[in-house]
Amino acid sequence: MAEMWISMGPQHPMTHGLWTLKVKIDGETVVDTEPDLGYIHRGVEKICEARDFTQITTYCDRLCYASANTWSHAYIYAAEDLLEVEVPERAEYIRMVAVELQRIASHLMWLGAYCPDVGNLTGLVWCLREREMMMDLLQELGGSRMHYNFPRVGGVKRDLPIGFALRCRAKLKLFLDRIQEYEALLDESTIFLVRTQGVGYAKAEEMINHGVSGPNVRAAGHNYDVRWAHPYSVYDELDWEPAVERPSIKGSDCYDRYRVRVEEMRQSALMILDGLDKIPGGADTHYQPGDPAIIGKAPARAAEGQTGFHHFEDSRGESMFYLAGGGEERGKHPYRVSIRSPMFITIPYASKCMIGYKIADIPAIMGSFDPCIGETDR
Amino acid sequence: MGNEVSAKQILSAAEEIVKDVADFGDAVQAEVRNHTGGRRKNPYVFIEVAASKWRELALWLKKSKNVDYCSMVTGIHWPEKADATWQVVVHLLRTGVVNPPVTNKRVHEIKVDIDGLAGNSVPMEFEISMSIPDTREPSVPSVADIWVGADWNEKETWDLVGINFDGHVGMRRVLLPHDSPTGYHPLQKQHKLRYHDFNEMYDDPQGFGRKPEDSGRVK
Repeated sequence: MAEMWISMGPQHPMTHGLWTLKVKIDGETVVDTEPDLGYIHRGVEKICEARDFTQITTYCDRLCYASANTWSHAYIYAAEDLLEVEVPERAEYIRMVAVELQRIASHLMWLGAYCPDVGNLTGLVWCLREREMMMDLLQELGGSRMHYNFPRVGGVKRDLPIGFALRCRAKLKLFLDRIQEYEALLDESTIFLVRTQGVGYAKAEEMINHGVSGPNVRAAGHNYDVRWAHPYSVYDELDWEPAVERPSIKGSDCYDRYRVRVEEMRQSALMILDGLDKIPGGADTHYQPGDPAIIGKAPARAAEGQTGFHHFEDSRGESMFYLAGGGEERGKHPYRVSIRSPMFITIPYASKCMIGYKIADIPAIMGSFDPCIGETDR
Repeated sequence: MGNEVSAKQILSAAEEIVKDVADFGDAVQAEVRNHTGGRRKNPYVFIEVAASKWRELALWLKKSKNVDYCSMVTGIHWPEKADATWQVVVHLLRTGVVNPPVTNKRVHEIKVDIDGLAGNSVPMEFEISMSIPDTREPSVPSVADIWVGADWNEKETWDLVGINFDGHVGMRRVLLPHDSPTGYHPLQKQHKLRYHDFNEMYDDPQGFGRKPEDSGRVK
């Protein structure tokens, strides 16, 4: 049969954003793919070269609309490396709570978007219901529901609000029960299993060589996680272990990638519950904004020659920022900001991953890698 | 868990790498550096390499030092430095990820014994820096065949900064429109954020009093 190219996107339910997947098909079988990105390229790296170090946080929030907090924190850690800032212990705990809440919210958004991809609309409604709880908690911290602008160079904007710990514990305990409902809903659903099992095989070594990391690699049977391998923050003091899934001999399929994210949500929830108990000063204390207990002193300028970078475990893999100091106004702005987006590297790999499967499998395979176009295009 | 790679493990592994890099001679300078911010000041390996030696070093890192992951390729334009107008910074990671072992047709997922990590299995961060003197067509060797993860990173660096990668197959625009003018790479420093200088932006934030430099010219 003759082969032909078809364009999926830029407007297509499979894309989860604005990009085009060009697919070469032979009958129903995918024989070649070529992703075409850049539809929402905003030039964040260039914009950041003319902003000072606090202003950049706002732009980093907007890198990913599903996972804003992880991105602004990824930037903040790199900025602290550049500016040589000490962070109070309490601030690190608050950041951990914010990041892990965001990770749960991001995975819920993923699951909520993935369920309709494979024909389960109930999952969407359930996941968004639980995501609402996480958004409420994040709103208490950052003040808004989507782009929190929460961390500051040296600490955090605000301390935990009074009563936050109580509400957070109650909601997370409810959430831990609800995770079991998801598992009951999806693991028992024949349609979900038929659509996800046995498609989109990916092996761990191959993924690492292709630059894919995070939950996608952990689904393939290795518990590599930036949080223990290139440690930062307070993860060593908490009770958790990286989620890892047992794949099949052929590698991890879409079902494994779903399983590992569900397990990761559970680990994040446990981490927060543990962190709220261990936070120095107690979770019920509230310091005023600017108190040295929650924000350290940070210089506003970085000289030329100073650099900073930080590998960060984003919800979608390893993200990083590289900052070079010595920009405009005697170093008030960075000279160069470079952003590593996990999905920018993963989307080409996921596109190769679907070669050999049917057209109908494309949404299931692409969705299982959790694409987010905001960070991809920057 | 209460368990993560300790700074001591990283430091001894980093020193070992720096010692072995010395075999390359003067073209490759390596040192152990420390992160300077935050709670942990973990060591990492910083390597300054001449562009001509980069591929050789990359192959050696991959084969002998088990560096398996290319995180990011960054290009920087320093128009005021004549001998180092272009800089390429490559961030690599040694992750130690392998396929899970199979016994009796059964896969066993890997949970790394973190305390037991030593030598080539310790996760490690690398920063590689290359400088290129002033030229209109800067280029460094491509490593996309060694780490496939570098492929799209190099495409992006060429697209935005204009540094080419010798031996890279299928170089094309990825973030900018496909029909962008040849030679247009927005992260080069001659391109200002707006048509007037940044400092002037605050004096006249709306830009009412200003015109583009090329106003009146036929475009």
